Amino acid sequence: MIERRATIAIVRRHIDRRFGVDWLMTFALVAALAAIFAPSFGYSAIFILAALASVMPIENQHIASLRRLTFFSVPLFGRQLARAHAVAPTLAALALPCGYAAGAAMRGVPISPERFITAICVVTIATLVALSGTFRDGRDRALYVGLALATSISLAILDLVAGPMSPRIVGALALLVGYFALRAFGETLARYDPLP
Amino acid sequence: MCFVRNGEDLIAPFSLAIDAGDAGVLVQPTRFAASLAARLCGAIVRPTSGRIFVGDYETRLQPPQAKRRIGFVDVAGFDGDAHAFACEIAFHAQCWGIARRLARERATRVLGALSREDAYARAIALALVADVDLIVLDQPPDDLAVRVREIATDAALLVSRVA
Repeated sequence: MIERRATIAIVRRHIDRRFGVDWLMTFALVAALAAIFAPSFGYSAIFILAALASVMPIENQHIASLRRLTFFSVPLFGRQLARAHAVAPTLAALALPCGYAAGAAMRGVPISPERFITAICVVTIATLVALSGTFRDGRDRALYVGLALATSISLAILDLVAGPMSPRIVGALALLVGYFALRAFGETLARYDPLP
Repeated sequence: MCFVRNGEDLIAPFSLAIDAGDAGVLVQPTRFAASLAARLCGAIVRPTSGRIFVGDYETRLQPPQAKRRIGFVDVAGFDGDAHAFACEIAFHAQCWGIARRLARERATRVLGALSREDAYARAIALALVADVDLIVLDQPPDDLAVRVREIATDAALLVSRVA
C-alpha cells in the first residue's frame, strides 16, 4: 500500500505545471509542423516521431530530475521506481503523435486510426527503451538511444509490411517489447549507484 | 562492508553496529569518501561486499522495508525555496504514508528545535518527517548533530566526518 502511494507521489512529482506547459508546447510545435508539411511527410512522419521520442528522455534537465538523490531514498524496489519514472516521459512522448494527428487533420490529410495507434506504439517503445540510457553516460547512453531508434523504426516498418493485421501485430509486439524495456530500466535503476 | 571502484578501495572494509539511541561517527580521509560512506549506510549506494541491516531488514534484499526506517541527510542539504520545501514535505509524507498535516507539523517542530532554517536544517526536518530508526547525517555542522541527538533520542544516529 505504501509502495503504491510512493509510486503515485513520484508520478505526481514529475507531472507538474512545467510538465503540462512542455507537453502543450511540444504538441503545438508538432501540430504546426504537421499542418505545413504533412502531405510531403507521408509515412516517413512515423520515423521522424520515433527519432524525436528516442532523444526526448535523454534531455539533460530530465536526466537531472531523474537522478535526484531524493528518489533513491524513497522506500521502493528498483522496478517500482522504474515504473514511477516511466509514466511522465511516456505521457510526454504522446504529445508527438497527438500533435501530428491534430496538425495533419488541420491540413486536411488526417491519419487513419490504425496509423495513429502505430504512432503511439512507436513513440512509447522508443521512450521506454531510451529511458535506460538516462542512468548511463557517454557511449553507453548513445547506444541506448540507437537501440530505441532501431526498435521503434523496426516496429514502424513492420506496420508497413504486415498488411491488414498490422495494428494487432504492432500492438502485441509493442506490449512485449515495452514490458522488457521497463524491466531493463528497473534493472538499470536497481544497479545504479549515485556516487557523490 | 566496503566499496571498490575500478580496483580501488574507495571505502576500506569496516564493520559497525549501532543500537537504538546510540550514535556512531564514520571518519573518512576525504569529503568524497565521507559522503560515500554516508550513502552506503543510508542505503542509497550498494556496498561492493558486505551487508547492511536496519533492524531485521537487509538493505539489498528488502530495500523498501529498510529505507522506510532510514532518514538520510545529504551534505548539500535542501536548498529549495519555501514552496519547494512545502512540496518536498508533501512528497515525503506520501512516500512514507503519513498524513500531510502531521508531516508539516513534524517538520516545523524539528526546524524550531534546531533553531535555524538553512539548507542542512531543512534536510534534517525532511528526514525526520517519518518515524525512522536510523538517521544518517552526511558531514553535518557540529552543532546540528548534537541537536538531532536531542530531538530523536530513540533512533540510532550515524554521522560521517572528514578526518
